[in-house]
Amino acid sequence: MTAIEVRGLTKRFGAVLAVDDLSFEVRAGTVTGFLGPNGAGKTTTLRMLLGLVKPTAGSALVNGVPYHDLPDPSRAVGAVLESTGFHPARTARNHLRTIATAAHLAPSRVDEVLELVGLTADADRRVGGYSMGMRQRLELARAMLGDPEVLILDEPANGLDPQGIAWLRGFLRWFASTERVVLISSHLLAEAAQTVDEVIILARGRMAEQGPLEQLLRRASTTVRVRTPDAERLVGLLQGAGINARRQGDVVDAPSTTADTVGRLMADNAVVVLEMSTSGESLEQLFFEMTAHGAMGGPGPDIPAAATVPGPYGGPS
Amino acid sequence: MIALVRAEVLKLRTVWSTWVLLAITAVLVGALAAAVGFAPHRREGVVFPPRGTVAWFDSVFSIMAISLDLALVLGVIATTGEQRHKTVTSTYLVEPRRGRVTAAKLLVCAAGGAVVALVAGAVGLGLGFAVVGGGFGNTNEMLTEFRHVWPGVAASGVLFALYGVGLGALLRNQVVSIIVGLGVTAIVEPIFVAALPSVGRWLPSEAAQALESVTARPHVRGLGSNTVHLITWWEGALVLLAYGLLLAAAGSFTTLRADVT
Repeated sequence: MTAIEVRGLTKRFGAVLAVDDLSFEVRAGTVTGFLGPNGAGKTTTLRMLLGLVKPTAGSALVNGVPYHDLPDPSRAVGAVLESTGFHPARTARNHLRTIATAAHLAPSRVDEVLELVGLTADADRRVGGYSMGMRQRLELARAMLGDPEVLILDEPANGLDPQGIAWLRGFLRWFASTERVVLISSHLLAEAAQTVDEVIILARGRMAEQGPLEQLLRRASTTVRVRTPDAERLVGLLQGAGINARRQGDVVDAPSTTADTVGRLMADNAVVVLEMSTSGESLEQLFFEMTAHGAMGGPGPDIPAAATVPGPYGGPS
Repeated sequence: MIALVRAEVLKLRTVWSTWVLLAITAVLVGALAAAVGFAPHRREGVVFPPRGTVAWFDSVFSIMAISLDLALVLGVIATTGEQRHKTVTSTYLVEPRRGRVTAAKLLVCAAGGAVVALVAGAVGLGLGFAVVGGGFGNTNEMLTEFRHVWPGVAASGVLFALYGVGLGALLRNQVVSIIVGLGVTAIVEPIFVAALPSVGRWLPSEAAQALESVTARPHVRGLGSNTVHLITWWEGALVLLAYGLLLAAAGSFTTLRADVT
């Protein structure tokens, strides 16, 4: 079943085309990473999905309907968005009470979600005195009030300390284990790789890549290069072992494998090795490449990678 | 809709600004009424009515009308506070039909305007009883005068709170909305009243004056050549209601439809 369906979604802010004819689906029971560098259009897409931003064209559906047609949005979708605010003078408990009241939820849910995110002890403090991490937990508590089927998180790790990030990861694993849907945006692929099964990669408002994380990880793995007088034979051996090796003169490239595998195979078959090296493309490098060169589906204007790709510890989008 | 109304009541109850606003209402009405009521009998050629007379109670109770400005601010804060503190995102996530949120705010702030008027009334009445207790005038006359003034103030307070919600829905910025709201009553209206009375009398505080006159004064105010003929009380009520609803509707059709980013 499709939990989230985006079709030809486009958003233009004046001269800026923030999201450009984007289409994707998120199936029930998956954790999907919605990835891309800052300014790729992730937040705008999520906000369109949640009815907060009006699309210029296309549709964004949750459980088959636009967000504002959901009979009970709080029970269907929980969303943690950046720049969602709190009244600083209101306590966390009262903040959640206002939401629970508007959403027809039992008052007991407030205590349950406070417990869930570990804020029970601080529930009657004013949110103005909360740390960034506590606010993020409170946001998650708000999203969880309706015990939703779909959780949408926009850069939830931003502002969290390492303990907070570890806690969030554990929380998402628990949520995903209940066979529900998570769509989580991040500009850090390596961070997302810890939690997601599927990835959607966005670059300048367009789809750059979509598929299982496994597939991406395979592409990001090591290539082993061997210089050998037995190049022809080695290619045959490698292909026999299911490795898609290629030969160029006396050099053989074995992608998506490890030096260990190739080394043992050569020793077992008495292949003479003149030189051997590995070249690794990390997940982050792959991500940079995909997002810096525009959408794979079509040509995009080329801009320098440095202009669009944040460092591994880049700021929020 | 009932859930949204309850949520809006809770929002107002759980922030200090609501309580501060009510406290300011009490202090302002008390201080100004005392200043008017206990001013020297004659000052700069103007004769103040003797303490405890019907005319004295009338001028002291008229001070309760200052609460209209606070009702207006209440409506503005209830609406623009959501933008200011960015709670509007979570509000619209729960209820994506934004017009319903505005409708709930209108209902709750109408009641809020009545509460502001109640506070003003309680202070005015307390002062009235204190003065009677001090040996000036009598309780019956005082209460009769209070009944002449307060209902109009309360009705105007309710409508001014709606006007505040409408203004906030349209302008969204809290400070700008308060400046525009109070600026119109304090600066723009007097200019219109002086220069173009036929237009000026349809503006919010003149309309409120007209509404307040339902049980009290004849339909003129001011002295001598400055006399302004007010519109009738029901015209005043309708005009104020229209300000609130039209501004809120305009807000719903423009800025409230805007992207929440």
